[in-house]
Amino acid sequence: MADRRRINGPPGSTMPPVFEDDAGQPEVKSGKGRDRAPTAIRKMFLKTGVTPSASGSAYLEFEKSNKSDVSGLKLSCTVHGPRSLPRSSPFSPHIVLSAHVKYAPFATKQRRGYLRDPSERDLGTHLETALRGAIIADRWPKSGVDIIISIIEGDQDREASKSQGDETWDMMNALSGCITVASAALADAGIDCVDTVAGGVAALVQDAGDDSTPRIVVDPIPSEHEKVLGACCIAYLPTRDEVTNLWFKGDLPASDAGLYTQLVENGIQASRNANRVLVECLGETTS
Amino acid sequence: MAAASPAAAPSGAQQPSLTFTRPVFAKLSPHPYLLRTLSPDSPGQQPTRNNGRSPHQSRPIQINTSSLSQAHGSSLVRTGDTTVICGVRGELLPVTAIPQFRPHNGTLYDQDENDEERARKELRDYDLLVPNIEMATGCAPQFLPGVPPTTLAQTLSTRVYSLLHGAGVVDGRGLRVWYTPEKGGREGSGMEVEGEEGEQEEEEEQKPEVVAYWVLYIDLLFVSFDGNPFDAAWAAVLAALRDTELPVARWDPDREMVVCRKGGDKKLGIRGLPVACSAAVFLEKEHAEVGGGEGNRHWILLDPDRSEEGLCKEVVTVVVDCSEGETRVRSIEKQGGTVIGRELIRGFIGVAEGRWREVKEAMGN
Repeated sequence: MADRRRINGPPGSTMPPVFEDDAGQPEVKSGKGRDRAPTAIRKMFLKTGVTPSASGSAYLEFEKSNKSDVSGLKLSCTVHGPRSLPRSSPFSPHIVLSAHVKYAPFATKQRRGYLRDPSERDLGTHLETALRGAIIADRWPKSGVDIIISIIEGDQDREASKSQGDETWDMMNALSGCITVASAALADAGIDCVDTVAGGVAALVQDAGDDSTPRIVVDPIPSEHEKVLGACCIAYLPTRDEVTNLWFKGDLPASDAGLYTQLVENGIQASRNANRVLVECLGETTS
Repeated sequence: MAAASPAAAPSGAQQPSLTFTRPVFAKLSPHPYLLRTLSPDSPGQQPTRNNGRSPHQSRPIQINTSSLSQAHGSSLVRTGDTTVICGVRGELLPVTAIPQFRPHNGTLYDQDENDEERARKELRDYDLLVPNIEMATGCAPQFLPGVPPTTLAQTLSTRVYSLLHGAGVVDGRGLRVWYTPEKGGREGSGMEVEGEEGEQEEEEEQKPEVVAYWVLYIDLLFVSFDGNPFDAAWAAVLAALRDTELPVARWDPDREMVVCRKGGDKKLGIRGLPVACSAAVFLEKEHAEVGGGEGNRHWILLDPDRSEEGLCKEVVTVVVDCSEGETRVRSIEKQGGTVIGRELIRGFIGVAEGRWREVKEAMGN
């Protein structure tokens, strides 16, 4: 049943444009190698206070990749609260977090609908867990806070038309960005946290070429590598040395336990780097 | 600070405990406060609003385009604390998917008035423009996600939709995808049998035909909301449409689908530059009876912000286009109240012309 509260367009289904050279020939990923050091994250731009009517807000943008066709991630986050819970809700001794992540319809290659799909709900849940570890929740009994993130642009390769499965890896980067931007917005709203939490991603990738061995990089862009074997997104509190959320996806041999720890360590390193930007940004606004 | 507050003075309270600072008073009792600042005591003083603007002053507008790479056209518009992002994305609608499709009887080379009118009708009949406004982004405390679109969001989408069609902004001819069948026809066998008739058919098939249309999904996202959403949204739609470039599309008879070529994107044809200009009417007596306009002073506040919108019932929106030299009015909308009559609307169109020049400058080219 069509959504009668929105304008739905023509009854027949529309198709996104298909380009001539998409068909048949395999996608060429060569010449698109990563040129950052394996432990370097992309530059990011963070700004708080973009939505004056909200209690706290922040905007995060990742640098565009050196290849012009990969867009940088753009996120806008608003925080509303703490405010009293509605009368109907049961008593809560601590603050009730609700995190909401939504892709804008024009954020990705495929047009997104207005209703949240499962992957967006998934992002929301992970974000909520990551933040719950940072907020001092029992300072606000019987209250709630809403964290709303709009992904204005996802970092996806616009040209690569057949990068199937990349979406799952893109979600990792999106989540790490969400954690960082939400942390900035929470600080902007003046909600007490034990520390600033930031997100970082590390991935085990295989580059093009037959002789290359898998290696670990941070802040991966899937289209820059032949294949992503596994990725892990970490939310990390640097001063307390705590991980509040860990999300691992992929396919790794169980025999090599060291690989997992290495991935996590690299993720933590990426998160530390992001945290430095975060702290600097918050310092600028207070001074 | 407290003593300097002019609005607090007439309360007659001498105790310092009963005087408030300006922002506190503005929040507690917004209507008398705004009334006070609009009607200054001494005649030399200019009436100002809470936000420091004079009644006929609008917020400066800033427009950025092409900042999104996944959309075919995009814009970011901010006026004061209202920020809107608009992305336009084209998708293809094959004519076989249009239930009420009537074959096009024009040709590719028709450039006359008639064809333009026909294209405009196609836009409306086949529903090729799909504007939607998303406000549930936490852009203001009353717009939280997880609920269906608010009445405001629905009205705004519909207003943008009807203005897009009404003002004829998009040139529908740019949305058609043509195909000229090659000589020799695809049904060679049928021709051989039927002889003369078949040849006639072949002749007819030489005419280029429309095989698909571009559908423009126009999505707007409010990042920050501080009043006057329609003006900002409309400016964003217009800027994004002017920025839109669609790939060159052609029909591939072998694959029976439309394919696009990379590079050489074509700019969408946009007619005119209609600009929306809104104002709210602020009344001296908040709860005056209907028709009792006598003695109830009013102010017309151009480009109202969120707090002013809450205090005003009557809102007027005029869409003007001065790009053809003379001013053309594309739409007039007025809701609530009885203050604005013919004379005031005529005067207001002059104000809108001023706004048109501001927006034109911000749009560049």
